[in-house]
Amino acid sequence: MSEQITTEMAQQGLQALMRVWFDFERQLGRVPLLQRLQRGQFSIDDYQKLLLHWRQQVIEGSRWISRCASSFDRHYSDVRSAIIGHARDEHRDYEMLEQDFVAAGGELVVMHAASRANNIGSEALHGFIMYRASQPNPVDLVGAMWIIEGLGQKMASSWAGQIEQATGCDSSCTRFMRYHGSQDEHHMQELYQLLDRVCNNAEQLAAIVRTAKVVARLYCLQLEEVEHG
Amino acid sequence: MSVYISSTGHFLPGPAVSNDEMESVLGFVHGKPSRLRRRILQSNGIQSRHYAIDAQHRTLFSNSQMAAKAAEDCLANSFIGKPQLTMLSAATSQGDLVLPGFGSMVQAELQLADVELHTCHGICSSSMMALKAAYTALLAGEHSTAMVVASELTSRLFKARRYEVAGAELDFNAEFLRWMLSDGAGALLLESRPRAGSFRIDWIRSFSHADAYPVCMSVGQAPNENRSWQDYPSYAEAETAGALLLRQDVRVLDAIVKLGVDGYLRLIAQGLIQPDEIDHVLCHYSSHYFKSKIFDMMQQAGVGLAEDKWYSNLYHRGNTGCASIFIMLDEFRRTQSYQPGDTILCMVPESGRFNTAYMQLTVMDAY
Repeated sequence: MSEQITTEMAQQGLQALMRVWFDFERQLGRVPLLQRLQRGQFSIDDYQKLLLHWRQQVIEGSRWISRCASSFDRHYSDVRSAIIGHARDEHRDYEMLEQDFVAAGGELVVMHAASRANNIGSEALHGFIMYRASQPNPVDLVGAMWIIEGLGQKMASSWAGQIEQATGCDSSCTRFMRYHGSQDEHHMQELYQLLDRVCNNAEQLAAIVRTAKVVARLYCLQLEEVEHG
Repeated sequence: MSVYISSTGHFLPGPAVSNDEMESVLGFVHGKPSRLRRRILQSNGIQSRHYAIDAQHRTLFSNSQMAAKAAEDCLANSFIGKPQLTMLSAATSQGDLVLPGFGSMVQAELQLADVELHTCHGICSSSMMALKAAYTALLAGEHSTAMVVASELTSRLFKARRYEVAGAELDFNAEFLRWMLSDGAGALLLESRPRAGSFRIDWIRSFSHADAYPVCMSVGQAPNENRSWQDYPSYAEAETAGALLLRQDVRVLDAIVKLGVDGYLRLIAQGLIQPDEIDHVLCHYSSHYFKSKIFDMMQQAGVGLAEDKWYSNLYHRGNTGCASIFIMLDEFRRTQSYQPGDTILCMVPESGRFNTAYMQLTVMDAY
């Protein structure tokens, strides 16, 4: 796989994904919980609730990425290797999130008792991604990775600092959010490589963009539902 | 039917003021030098600018006088005189008076008779909105000439006393723009017929995102307050509360780069921009803001704009808000080399509440 984007189709794919991301950021800007975070009117309870809901997503994330890897056949063995590496890197991230929850004053028993079904957005997101990951050669999941990777960077570069400022907690409570930012460059390179490898025709491009849009919409739903669950 | 920019003009008040001189003009808040000045200047890269106020804080040129001088400079370089002008479209972020509209004051200053008037209020992109109004009026066939003028006199907001009255501590957000913005005016003459070397306006488009983003640059609200300056029992109380300081919420500022790229990608998708065919890029922004990760991404996506195509005079003429893009276009037109058929892309990403404006021009034959 090349380290750069080399094909015109993949360049078009990246242009489209950039626009999906910008639109996603605008959608996030309309989520009441995040609007309050932006204004600094965000309490430690809000943060605990956010982590409580986020945990299921992180746990499921490591599962769908493994499923995704196993759905690629031998023609995509290079892609499979890359995704297995990714799955290995991240499949126990939720433990860091749990430690943040405790550092922010939460009780582990509460977190362990929480269920994915508490958030209908998580339920829908999980259902959609697992369904896509179970298809043969699910190249469109690059679109999902694009959104999730971008969100990781956003958490690290803006949310973590805003949460610390608004709630008065220190960086021992936001290690999960900050950790993702430290992997920035490396992950971006991986995404470029994957996109260049799997975005080869108009059909694949459309599928990648559609999956990115659906995942973005469902992520927003999940964040909206944090205050309803 | 096409519309052409057939002349340009500018007015920058007084001598150029260097980085080391600017605080002695604006004043030392509580008698002490700013601790943030150097850092902010280093980040925006501006080296000199102009002020319409002097060190005694007397206003040497009003905002409408500066606008009129830019328009007169523009006319002096053109084939027409004041009697042929039938429309005046004016933009500023803050006129000399709260009311009436800035355009009325500029018209009086210019002594223009019987024009159709348009005043556009906003921040950096208001000049592009004023230009679009005039452009569409010519396209509709209602006028064959229009003067578009944009002027800013922000230094009045930066006098040391303003900050002293508003309380003890100067916060970063209130000081950020003090070392960024300065005064000046620019003007464009629009005609519905081409002249030698005029620039044809291919299109003007803008995208506003106020629904999804908080206010980023503002006057009229104190920090952590929902009240407007007009909701205080007296204006003096609003000032004491800091509601009249010009503020930039720097935390959300990086969104403007992304939104600038977003609009650019939309226009590519709509077929209006072909990145390979752009010869010159004029952007109202400190260019090093754009040397970020997102520009690496644009290169990867095959829509990068080569650095040698970028022209800016921001570093020497200062960031003059809405007037900047006109002052930049004027200096580009007078001092840079370009060929008939060249394509110029102008971009004004405004951080007020996130409005991004774009225009494409084509250089006409010399005839």
